Amino acid sequence: MRYSITQDSHIGGRRLNEDSVGHVSTERSLLLVVADGMGGHPKGEVASKLAMGVVFDLFRAKAQPELPDVALFLQDALMQANEALVRYARTEGLSDSPRTTLVAAVIQDGRITWIHCGDSRFYLLRDGAVFAKTLDHSLLERDRQLGRPPASQLPGYRNALFTCIGSETRPVFNLAGPVALRGGDRVLLCSDGIWSVVEDANLAHALLGKKIKQAVPQLVQQAIRLGGPNGDNASCIALAWGDEDDFLPTSRHDFAASHGQGRAIGRA
Amino acid sequence: MAKSKPSPLPSGTLIGGYRIVKKVASGGFGVVYQATGPDGETVAIKEYLPASLATREAGSLLPQVAPEKLSLYRLGLKSFFEEGRSLAQISHPSVVAVLNFLRENETVYMVMNYLEGASLQDFIIVARDQKAEKIFRESTIRSLFDEILRGLRIVHQHKMLHLDIKPANIFVTDDNHSVLIDFGAAREVLSKEGNFVRPMYTPGFAAPEMYRRDGVMGPWTDLYAIGACMYACMQGYPPNEATQRAENDRMSTALKRLRGSYSDNLIEIVEWCMATDPDKRPQSVFVLQKELNSADELRYTKLSIGDKMRLQLDSVVNETKKVALRVTQFGRQVS
Repeated sequence: MRYSITQDSHIGGRRLNEDSVGHVSTERSLLLVVADGMGGHPKGEVASKLAMGVVFDLFRAKAQPELPDVALFLQDALMQANEALVRYARTEGLSDSPRTTLVAAVIQDGRITWIHCGDSRFYLLRDGAVFAKTLDHSLLERDRQLGRPPASQLPGYRNALFTCIGSETRPVFNLAGPVALRGGDRVLLCSDGIWSVVEDANLAHALLGKKIKQAVPQLVQQAIRLGGPNGDNASCIALAWGDEDDFLPTSRHDFAASHGQGRAIGRA
Repeated sequence: MAKSKPSPLPSGTLIGGYRIVKKVASGGFGVVYQATGPDGETVAIKEYLPASLATREAGSLLPQVAPEKLSLYRLGLKSFFEEGRSLAQISHPSVVAVLNFLRENETVYMVMNYLEGASLQDFIIVARDQKAEKIFRESTIRSLFDEILRGLRIVHQHKMLHLDIKPANIFVTDDNHSVLIDFGAAREVLSKEGNFVRPMYTPGFAAPEMYRRDGVMGPWTDLYAIGACMYACMQGYPPNEATQRAENDRMSTALKRLRGSYSDNLIEIVEWCMATDPDKRPQSVFVLQKELNSADELRYTKLSIGDKMRLQLDSVVNETKKVALRVTQFGRQVS
């Protein structure tokens, strides 16, 4: 697998950064995650971190080095993250459980599969445009899909979700893919602090045909600038598929070899 | 959660008469700094501080090592020390020079020449992006590797192997010399877990024997990497990983595409160095140097129209195979 990954997260104008962003991989499988802890419930920063941790742990347990069933893994991971948050609220004696959004993507065999719950988004950018993206589990997006005007004009309405990770009711999620990746594709997972201020077309422009190592921090800075002094946390992780960084770093063997000591300076 | 990296030393810190200017890089073994010597000269200082074994709080000088990791830490330290001592014996313009060796702050520091320039990898990526017909001219490749081989020969004479030769570890200085860097201090010992040692490798440049437990490494192992570096200088990309070549070796097809752009002799040298069987490679740097310098009149075989068509057909067939494979795998998953 040839790819490069860059992630970035900024607190914006808020007191806490409740976003979590990360990735984990084996030589044959790769997992990307963004989670956005929800305000209005306790410990949003714990919620997103905990949910991401559960997903990572399950990946480490199951990817040996490939996941036997990617779609099943993503669903299990999401459900386990939900259970972990509900359990956390109980053991901590919280009156309300911490909640978070979750978007996760797995790349294996050159194909990408993704799952999401809430309004953190997945984008697949190709040929200068958005090739695929998730639809938010928000009231606003539901109105749009049903072809009716927004039920409310209140500013908070955009942020209202009808499902999330961490509530007692079973989370609603969407699973999509697999889609075969092409060289040059960009994958973006981001919190609403990014997509609410940077339009889809601009996301494609920001990331396609550029080194994501530079493009990602620039995108986050742009979102923070546009978000203003009270702007939301802005987080994203982007992947460039293919040759951007084809010279790989030195790796460590994952088999247990048993030859002598200090062979790095071996004997000629 | 990822473990946090040990904090680098703050600028201004004095290490045995050298003043730290700034951190320039960090890797699995520790940190590299730019520093100023007693006579005002600029040097590079490599600090042994393996992130897997030690931590260091910001502003602190001493690393903290957990008791259960102490023996591995000391083993790595000894190896780092030995690497420095071995390197210090070598004085060659194409091998990074160790000027001094210091024990301080319960760790070890290697003082080296500060090089200004860029890695061969950086040059390849820039050249590739210019979409020229050739990545580098043949004469450039020959003179670059002539220099590197002179250095490598001395390294081998000192009974050492580099074992991680790759474009990122070949430094091209601003005054146009190439230098072999990063002798990967104690890197195997560092990754020791339990009773096993895990050697390090770089996909594409690591010879097949580096993937085997019983693989016997020798000068031929470094020469495979030299061949792979030459390949990268011609193609613009690293060669396929040795494990992949074992399944489906596309090397001769890939090299055939270079005919006409590079001389038959250079292409054959790459093929020779990169033979999967260690016995079929040049067995010493000297043998390779001799071949690299022997070609007085270079022959360029242009591809015939038939060859070109066969190459094209070959890639079509291979693409189809891949698609077919994907479809069957997919089918299996669904059922």
